[in-house]
Amino acid sequence: MIETISRGIFVESWHFLVGGSLIGILVPLLYYFYNTGLGVSTGYGNIVKILLRTSQLRWIKEKFPNPWNWRLFFMIGIVFGGFLSARVSGASIVTMEMGIFTQRSGLPTIFSAVYFFIGGSMLGLGARIAGGCTSGHSIHGIANLHKSSIVVTILFLLGGAIAANVLRIFLLGGGAS
Amino acid sequence: MSKNIGFLFFGTFFGFVLSRVGASDFNLIYGMFIGENLKLVGVIGTAIIVAYVGMQSLRKQAKQTRTGQSLEISKKKLTSWSLSGALIFGLGWGMAGACPGTVLAQLGEGKIFAVFTLAGITFGTYLYALLKEKQPNL
Repeated sequence: MIETISRGIFVESWHFLVGGSLIGILVPLLYYFYNTGLGVSTGYGNIVKILLRTSQLRWIKEKFPNPWNWRLFFMIGIVFGGFLSARVSGASIVTMEMGIFTQRSGLPTIFSAVYFFIGGSMLGLGARIAGGCTSGHSIHGIANLHKSSIVVTILFLLGGAIAANVLRIFLLGGGAS
Repeated sequence: MSKNIGFLFFGTFFGFVLSRVGASDFNLIYGMFIGENLKLVGVIGTAIIVAYVGMQSLRKQAKQTRTGQSLEISKKKLTSWSLSGALIFGLGWGMAGACPGTVLAQLGEGKIFAVFTLAGITFGTYLYALLKEKQPNL
């Protein structure tokens, strides 16, 4: 009995209603405690500021006077949460795997690294131009009935569908299972 | 509890949940975008509904926040720039199989390629700062 419960919590993937509810409740919780909207992507500006302390670019200089603020701590927490999750599930500490991408693409490691870097660059640039990412727009924004977030989320999903289908056709050659 | 420590705690909670529900799983994100496995649509949809209900009940409270302030909800306005930004973001999401939050959970899970996605997001953010220097409306 206890073993079944602990497997359900720590090893098996959670039901979408459980995970979705726990993510959703963060939005009102962060407002209640800190009057702050859920969001992650702006925090990457904190990292840029830390790496380029003396940058004279106006956006970095004006928007990130102190990069060691809550945004950075939130990001560090997410890394730690992922670490805890992998530890309790018994996964290995470090892995070169990235699901079926590494199983099927057959790309040399260096090309895969470049591939993920390019994907990441588009995430970073796109999130800043769009004014937020999945957490800030798709969850926080839509839950507050912001029309802009609904439109942005539709385009997020459209872009994702285009990219994944191109990936399927040219590199992975099939479905997700 | 200082704000930073609080966000460290909530971030840990967020990262743990993202990872346990499979939001940091490349296969599930890919599966969602090719329409084969819609579990993450369920996750995002549930999160939106729960967040909406929570925010509505918070709005009705006399004391909307712990310190008694009224809610200051951050809102982004829509421009033609933000539409193209959203499409670029979506392409990156489908390509990398991660978004700016879940890639951090992937990093904690020990996925080496998450390092490159993360470096890319940081570079993309820097690129934005460069472009904004020339185009302040961005």
